[in-house]
Amino acid sequence: MGGSFIISQADKRPLYLQIMEQIRQRIAVGDWASGQSIPSIRQLAVDIGVSVITVKRAYLELERDGVIVTRQGKGSFVASDAHVGTRIREQELAQHLEQAVRSAALLGLSPKDLEKRIRASYDRVADAEKESV
Amino acid sequence: MNELAVELEGVCKSYRFFELDDIALQLPSGTIMGLIGPNGAGKSTTIRILMGLVHQDRGEVRVLGHSMPDEQVAAKWDVGFASDDMRLYDSLTLGWHMNFMKSIYESWDAGYAQLLLKKFGLHADQKIKGLSHGQRVKATMLLVLARRPKLLVLDEPTTALDPVARHEILRELTDVMVDEDRSILFSSQNTQDIEQISDRITFIDRGRIIDSMDKEAYLDRWRRLRLEVPVGVALPALPGIIGIRQTGRLAVVIANAFEADLPGAYENSGARVQAVENMTLEEIFVANVERSREGVTV
Amino acid sequence: MNGSVVRQLALKDWRLHRLQVILSVAAGAAALGLFQIGREIPVVLGATWFFVTLVLLACMLPMSNVVNERKKHNLAFVMSLPISPRQYAMAKILSTFGMFLVSWAILVVAAVWLIEARFPHGVIPVSVVLTGLVLTGFCLMASVAIVSESEGWATAAIIVCNSSYGVIWYLIIRVPETAKEVGGAVAVWSPRVLRILATEAALVIFCLGLTFYLQSRKRDFI
Repeated sequence: MGGSFIISQADKRPLYLQIMEQIRQRIAVGDWASGQSIPSIRQLAVDIGVSVITVKRAYLELERDGVIVTRQGKGSFVASDAHVGTRIREQELAQHLEQAVRSAALLGLSPKDLEKRIRASYDRVADAEKESV
Repeated sequence: MNELAVELEGVCKSYRFFELDDIALQLPSGTIMGLIGPNGAGKSTTIRILMGLVHQDRGEVRVLGHSMPDEQVAAKWDVGFASDDMRLYDSLTLGWHMNFMKSIYESWDAGYAQLLLKKFGLHADQKIKGLSHGQRVKATMLLVLARRPKLLVLDEPTTALDPVARHEILRELTDVMVDEDRSILFSSQNTQDIEQISDRITFIDRGRIIDSMDKEAYLDRWRRLRLEVPVGVALPALPGIIGIRQTGRLAVVIANAFEADLPGAYENSGARVQAVENMTLEEIFVANVERSREGVTV
Repeated sequence: MNGSVVRQLALKDWRLHRLQVILSVAAGAAALGLFQIGREIPVVLGATWFFVTLVLLACMLPMSNVVNERKKHNLAFVMSLPISPRQYAMAKILSTFGMFLVSWAILVVAAVWLIEARFPHGVIPVSVVLTGLVLTGFCLMASVAIVSESEGWATAAIIVCNSSYGVIWYLIIRVPETAKEVGGAVAVWSPRVLRILATEAALVIFCLGLTFYLQSRKRDFI
């Protein structure tokens, strides 16, 4: 189950973040279904080929975000509420927006300027989608 | 059962031109510890003392609960050791070595040994002298791994290996961790390997331990901040920083005890934080050694 | 459980050096074959060749069995096995002395038997003394190699021993009584000869004992 995880030292982000992201992806697209049991920390660490402590951290953070649940003696599971996928997407969006705000600040943009930029991007993406259809 | 696979306390050893000073180290069962440090830092000496091959001048050494070097025989039944300066017998075959190990260790797993032969691309009836460096290293690792020892002590197991061979060995090492009673201690110059598979990291430089802790917590303490410093602004001295390098209006700050409020503190002083970056273990390694050599205390 | 590791190590040494030992014994046997010819020159040649074979084996075994293991970094491999420095020393003493003693015994018994059958027996005691000399020399060289762990010291021991054979042989043979006994038809085990043999035996035991003792006090392998 962990065989298709790709972690890269070239990626500037820490390993545990990469693992978290790939777990979120699997849950968001439904490969890891809501309520389904997932590999133990040790098993996933061995499958991916990383240290146990890295997977442990990833699991802890995911649990904190409500994406997975660990039950004593039973193992770990994808959170069983139906909105897990949505919650993940929400968390991603929040992260992206925060990054946008920080970048805008570096450029010296005001909130209104940022709004205009977001609107422009929205239009661009919508056009691109229309064309690809 | 002792929950510490390896324990060193107050270990000292003096040689004519080198001294190991007050080495303390703990490896909990079921974990992997990576030992890093520059050449000549004392990694190999520490490992030899751990294996009972060298007697410490002072201090306690316990391996799998056995006091070293007095109880080394008992310990070595369950410890697999491989070092990069170790050689097998040139004129004999790999198969002979495998039988030799089998005749000594009851725990020898012949099936696993055959599997490793295939995985590593080796042949039992090849003479050791006919093997390339990479093949020799893999052969030595095979002899260690097929016994399934409780503790693996490896001195530079992946040095000078091609990327594929390195990957094969790392794979087998992480596979060992399926069993939570087994532990690994390895030293390496390859910070990528250490960063990827270690649960704990220990830094040695010039015979002293600089850091020894949980890898994730350790990596989390280090950050590189890129700042834009307007004219007239002086960067304040803040805690948790070990170095600042400023050229013109750009500055790079290395923090080894990063707190979440650090960027804010710089912003308050008038500087602009352009980026807060995680550091790779290699970058931490270099920063750490430079700091310890300059004698800067934290 | 550990006696078996010592045994495996000694067997390993035999496996590594069996060709060397077998060839030496064969060469010594071939030398004895020259004795069969019976004439003066072949006999002298055979005797010299025999002696040289023994001396060569006595020098080569300590070097290849003891010194080389350290030189070629095989020692780290051996020391990772479940044995202590003392047990390693025992295995080394066992294999080194064992291989030489067996070869030496075979060759000496064959030589004595051959002489007894075809030659005047007077020459037997000094022959035994002489081969005993090589045995003593071997014990010294092996002990130095095992204890010093140094190629330099082992080489020095080899040079000292080999240089002494000639002198000691001269000292033995120039005593008029000895020369007469050698020429005789009967083997004379005079007090002189017995004293020399006793000295050789004492030296052998002393070397072995000292080696055991010094090795058991070693704290570091590498």
